[in-house]
Amino acid sequence: MELLQGTLDMLVLRTLRAGPLHGYGIAKNIRSASNEALDIEFGSLYPALKRLEMKGWIASAWETSEHNRRAKYYKLTAAGRKQLLREHSKWADFVSAVSRIMGPAPEVKG
Amino acid sequence: MMLWNRLKYLRPAWRRNQEREMREELDSLVAIAGRAELGNLTMAMENARATWGWTWLESIIADIRYSFRSLRRQPAFVAVAVLSLALAIGANSAIFSFADALLLRPLPVPDPSALFDVSYTAPDNPFEGMSFPDYRDLRDKSRSFAGVATYHLTTLAAATEATAPARIRFTVLVSGNFFPVLGVAPLAGRAFRPDEANAPGQAVAMISYDFWRQYPDSQSVIGAPLRLNGIVFTIIGVLPESFTGLDRFIRPSIYIPLGMSQRLASAMSDPLEDRGRHNLVVKARLSAESSPESAQAELATLGASLEREYPRTNHSRRMSVRTELARRIQQTPQMLELVKMLMGLVGLILIIACSNLANLLLARARARSREIAIRLSIGAGRLRLVRQLMTESFLLAIFGGAAGLFFAYLGILLLQTWSVPTDPPNILGAQLDWRVVEFSFLVALVSCLFFGLAPAWQTVRMDFVPALKDGGHGTSAGRRTLGRDVLVIGQIALAMVVLIAAGMFLAGFRRMLVASPEFRVDHLITLDTAPDMLHYTPDQAKTFYRQLVDRVRLMPGVADVAMTEALPLAPAQTILTVVPEGYQFPKGRETAVEFGSSVDAGYFRIMRVEVTRGRAFTVDDRAGTRRVAIVNQQFAKTYWPDQDPIGKRIRLDKPDGPPAEVVGVARTGHYLVVNEAPEPYVYVPYEQNPRSQMTLIVQSMADPASLASPLRETVRSIDPNLPVFNLRTVATLYESRATGTWLQFLQMVGTLGAIGLVLAMTGLYGLIAYNVSRRVKEFGIRVALGANRRDVVWLVERRGLLLACVGIAIGAVLTRVAMPMLAAGFRGLGSSPPVVYALIPLALLIVSAAASYLPALRAGGLDPLRALRDE
Repeated sequence: MELLQGTLDMLVLRTLRAGPLHGYGIAKNIRSASNEALDIEFGSLYPALKRLEMKGWIASAWETSEHNRRAKYYKLTAAGRKQLLREHSKWADFVSAVSRIMGPAPEVKG
Repeated sequence: MMLWNRLKYLRPAWRRNQEREMREELDSLVAIAGRAELGNLTMAMENARATWGWTWLESIIADIRYSFRSLRRQPAFVAVAVLSLALAIGANSAIFSFADALLLRPLPVPDPSALFDVSYTAPDNPFEGMSFPDYRDLRDKSRSFAGVATYHLTTLAAATEATAPARIRFTVLVSGNFFPVLGVAPLAGRAFRPDEANAPGQAVAMISYDFWRQYPDSQSVIGAPLRLNGIVFTIIGVLPESFTGLDRFIRPSIYIPLGMSQRLASAMSDPLEDRGRHNLVVKARLSAESSPESAQAELATLGASLEREYPRTNHSRRMSVRTELARRIQQTPQMLELVKMLMGLVGLILIIACSNLANLLLARARARSREIAIRLSIGAGRLRLVRQLMTESFLLAIFGGAAGLFFAYLGILLLQTWSVPTDPPNILGAQLDWRVVEFSFLVALVSCLFFGLAPAWQTVRMDFVPALKDGGHGTSAGRRTLGRDVLVIGQIALAMVVLIAAGMFLAGFRRMLVASPEFRVDHLITLDTAPDMLHYTPDQAKTFYRQLVDRVRLMPGVADVAMTEALPLAPAQTILTVVPEGYQFPKGRETAVEFGSSVDAGYFRIMRVEVTRGRAFTVDDRAGTRRVAIVNQQFAKTYWPDQDPIGKRIRLDKPDGPPAEVVGVARTGHYLVVNEAPEPYVYVPYEQNPRSQMTLIVQSMADPASLASPLRETVRSIDPNLPVFNLRTVATLYESRATGTWLQFLQMVGTLGAIGLVLAMTGLYGLIAYNVSRRVKEFGIRVALGANRRDVVWLVERRGLLLACVGIAIGAVLTRVAMPMLAAGFRGLGSSPPVVYALIPLALLIVSAAASYLPALRAGGLDPLRALRDE
């Protein structure tokens, strides 16, 4: 499924709310949380991480993973938490507006 | 904070650190997830870097680096391109500097655009000064201005001490608020206080920076005495170097309060209280709330009320508010014509140079079509490539602009040698300053768009598949060079316009050279002095001049002596108001103003001014005898056509002025400039019309210049304080006035013509040579099939001549349209002799033939085997 434009940042922030993850972990997490519906390519995720980091919404640090491997872990900052709230309400407004227009799926005849 | 964050991404060390960090992170993820799972990591990193936000800068730097590399590979191309541009930009910048000095440079004060000129417009004078009472009313009553200042420019005899010889210097008499209104603060000392500026005035002076530098001990200048016209002034301040005065060609040395006018002139009444004395220049600084239009409206009302109140002095005078540029243009409209013409010519040269560049770039584009094709096929965006190509053009333009500044500097050095030997000197302030530098780079940038954009666009629009296939050569030949042919034709046409303009100057100049001066120039030296500056009474002045003439006559090496009020062709000429007997003036006028001067009995002899009818003045034409006058032929022709002028009478000054009987007719000469139309001229005898400032003419037996210092000594022996100025040989004056300026002018226009020709011929040569190189195979086949080499040469040559002929034909049409515009306002230029129109196209054709002959020869000399093999 194609990602709606501008939703990737929100998804990353939301995913990190549960706790710090490394870059590949974030991609995997999104995929599994959406029941494999959203297959985020790492190539597009990684620049998004860097962008969010530059904006100060997430921060990164080197840590050791469960399999004793070093990786860079990203976590939500206070500013990122606020941003997530903003995005969340914007998203909710957007969804309710769109569903008002679309209504239940029409029956297709013929 | 955000900006700081952004800036930190520019630091190379920081960037390296980040890159390493990113690589490590990605490597660690590869270890966890495997490369296949993560996809294209190079791309991911590239995109991540892009979020730093400086990719535009990076790519520009990359473009510049790439451009440098690709330009370095073709030094010949770069040399021709940069040289073409440099010649054109140099010519443009030098002419701009010239125009700046003549017209355009703003006043050397802060915020010059808010400073306006206020003057009277009278029926017979569009540019009349104001009287001090009028100025005072204007200053006190107007609401439109933040400040209104006034000044009057004059020459004074300046000496540092009583026994030192005085030197004549430009001096400005200024109102008390002059420097505050201009916004100029003294470099040292102080400006005038209001009480110093008011009548009767304090003897205090401020001096210019240049004058200050002439003092041996510059530290003790403040408070030092300065004798001006014999009155001791105290120097209170020094002006900054940047303030060179408000008049274009004059750099005044001394500023003193207007309140000193009466004492300096040793006048009985205060000239500042005379409302009829319209000799002040008024400069007003517009207040922030008003516009020039509202100021003009206000002053119109004010002027009208003054006219009602003082009908005698202010009759039919209107106040006008003008910008400085408008004032200059109105004062010297011929300068505007000159500037327009020269700017027009250099503009054409710039177009020629840009066509050259465009042509070179088009040729280059074909040569590198393979490179472009490869870049296009591996996915470079067309816009991106245009940007890359434009970066190259931009670099060329910058180099051309920088090298052009060098040429401009040479031109400006030449311009700076233009001078008329006057004392105190007039200055043509052409200089290489920031305005010229800015102008040069602006021209470079504009031309870069002009020559770079079209070739760049055409380059990337190409179809890259065939370009890749046949190794970058020869696709559909004919259509592709059409644009380049048009460019070369245009160059030749424009070069023809420039050359014909140069030819017209040459022809006009020749006419001036063959024009006889109509007076003697050899073995003569002249000097001016001004007894009135030292407050001589008219009788004292007369005695002084008699004494001077007597002493000079006895000096060794002197053959003859005479006096005149004005020397022909000197920059300053005197005029007389005359009423010729029997002449019917048009309604509303009752007098005529003509060139004329008071001369002594020896004048006609020493200057060899031929008296064609009647007699010259004699020693018997003196005070008390019948008043006489001599007119020139043109005067007689103008006022008494078909009548005998001898015996006619001329009233001097006014209709009931003293009548003088015409006793002789002199040959018409040149009086102000050599290319003037014949001017009426009146001579009156000195003894009957004594003047307070006369020019002494001394005829030497040997070299006249050797008399200079003995003459100076002779004047000093009579009065050591008297200023001696304009001590120069008549030959020097004549050379500079009649030939010097024109010769330099001709050099200038001639140089422009030569630049135009060289550029156009470079273009033609380049195109023909390029055509030959493209058709090597074809020529090889022709020769192999037995074509005569002469035929091949002719084949190439024919093309060059064809282009030249079309260019010349278009040039002829352009000339007919452009020349009246270029030559407008130039006497003796509009009607160009037909020989110019015949010679220039012929010369152009010959040079074109030569320019295409070299490549043609090469085509003819091709070895068919080699030619075919190379393909």
